[in-house]
Amino acid sequence: MENMTQLRLSEVAAITLAVVALCWPHAGRAATLAEIKQRGYMVVATEDDFRPFEFIKDGKPTGFDNELLDRLRKFAPFEIRQEIIPWPGLLAGVSTGKYDVAVTAAAITKERQPTLDFTMPLADNSNYYAKRKADKNIQSIADLNGKSFGLQVGSVMKERLPELQALLNPTNGKLGPMTEYNSFPDAYQDLANGRIDYVINTYINLSELVKEKPNVFELGQKVSGRVMPAWAVKKGNAGVLAFLNTFLAQERESGGLASLQTKWFGTSFDELPLYWMSEF
Amino acid sequence: MARLMSAGNMISLLWGASTTISLSLAAILLGIPLGLGLALARWTRLPVLRQVVIVIVSLFRATPAVTTMLLFFFVLPTVGIPVNAVAAALLTLTINTAAFNSEIWRAALEEFPREQMEAAKSIGMRASQRFYRIVLPQIFRASLPALVNEMTLLVKASPAIAVVGVVDVTRAAARIGAETYEPLPPFLIAFVFYGAFVFIFVKLHRTIEGRRRLQEARS
Repeated sequence: MENMTQLRLSEVAAITLAVVALCWPHAGRAATLAEIKQRGYMVVATEDDFRPFEFIKDGKPTGFDNELLDRLRKFAPFEIRQEIIPWPGLLAGVSTGKYDVAVTAAAITKERQPTLDFTMPLADNSNYYAKRKADKNIQSIADLNGKSFGLQVGSVMKERLPELQALLNPTNGKLGPMTEYNSFPDAYQDLANGRIDYVINTYINLSELVKEKPNVFELGQKVSGRVMPAWAVKKGNAGVLAFLNTFLAQERESGGLASLQTKWFGTSFDELPLYWMSEF
Repeated sequence: MARLMSAGNMISLLWGASTTISLSLAAILLGIPLGLGLALARWTRLPVLRQVVIVIVSLFRATPAVTTMLLFFFVLPTVGIPVNAVAAALLTLTINTAAFNSEIWRAALEEFPREQMEAAKSIGMRASQRFYRIVLPQIFRASLPALVNEMTLLVKASPAIAVVGVVDVTRAAARIGAETYEPLPPFLIAFVFYGAFVFIFVKLHRTIEGRRRLQEARS
């Protein structure tokens, strides 16, 4: 329980600080592309426990976004400085101008649109649920009625819950109690321990989990419409956004993006739009 | 367990442990005199300074370390004070522990018999002499158990620094768990590590107390 209080506080603190910093005079100003070129470096932030997008193996950052970042390093005419930080402070860091780019799989959402601008989507990553393999009580979406579930605090899954509720409606089902975790690995651990019955996360993250632990977890069905992750910059930072989109378009054209998608997600996404605005 | 933890991950965990140790120790060493300074500022009853100290101490005692950490890291640069993550971490832990230490010192100072001060004054001791020879040794003795307790609390509050990317032992364990999907081995090691680290403080305290008793018995 202590852990839960702590993560709520960190979340509240992150949001409060983002607001405070945004109201502060000359605060929350992100560096423009010209300023980045002039000072000679761009600061990007990645996560440290979001396999397969970004994670740390033997002390070194790896995963889809980190490999794409390596390509960006070769493309950029300036140095790229990387900060590896946990999720709760990441987007706040971008919206306060501490980091120029969130190089992570930040889902494009309506809620984030006022503070962030997103690059072109990098995957099609709808929400699924995962359950314990041994749990025979859950076979279909209808069985999720009243079952307790977990997700990551500050993640987009929460806003998409009405879609799951809509799927439960035909069988008069209701969402069970929700627990929000500091990060998904904590949620997986509680799922394995039986403290919750299912975890909602993206297809890519969950299929990776199930691939690694096939005896413990099992992938369920889709519980949302389209979810598209992308990199993010502070709202209105058009120069940096255009620079990133130029790079990503080139990677898409050359097939580099597709090969990284295949390597880390097991499939490539060739039909992604160049711009996407979420209705959620 | 060896099967589940690669050598590289083991090294990451050791790095995390060394970060926890060095930042905690630095904060403890800075926080004890700083706490004393804050307590003295209150004790001397200087009008404005006293109020300022009361506000600062109350604020940092009331705020969770995570919040202080985010505040320093994100807000200080916007007011023209550049801080990196490690500096913000050290600042957070030091101010956090200093605020609690100052209350410990203050309690000891308030309990201190003023007659002793009068006596020292009457034999012509200067203010600094009175403090270093008469007051400090006695309030140090009185405060030690509470100060050691606060040290252990600081060590346990230290994972808060991970929120801006300083990798302490808890974060290192979390990262390994996220990579291997086996969080138990790294967290068990972190668990044992904290136990051993805190035990050192307790042991140190007992040794100092034991010696003192011995001295008192001799004299």
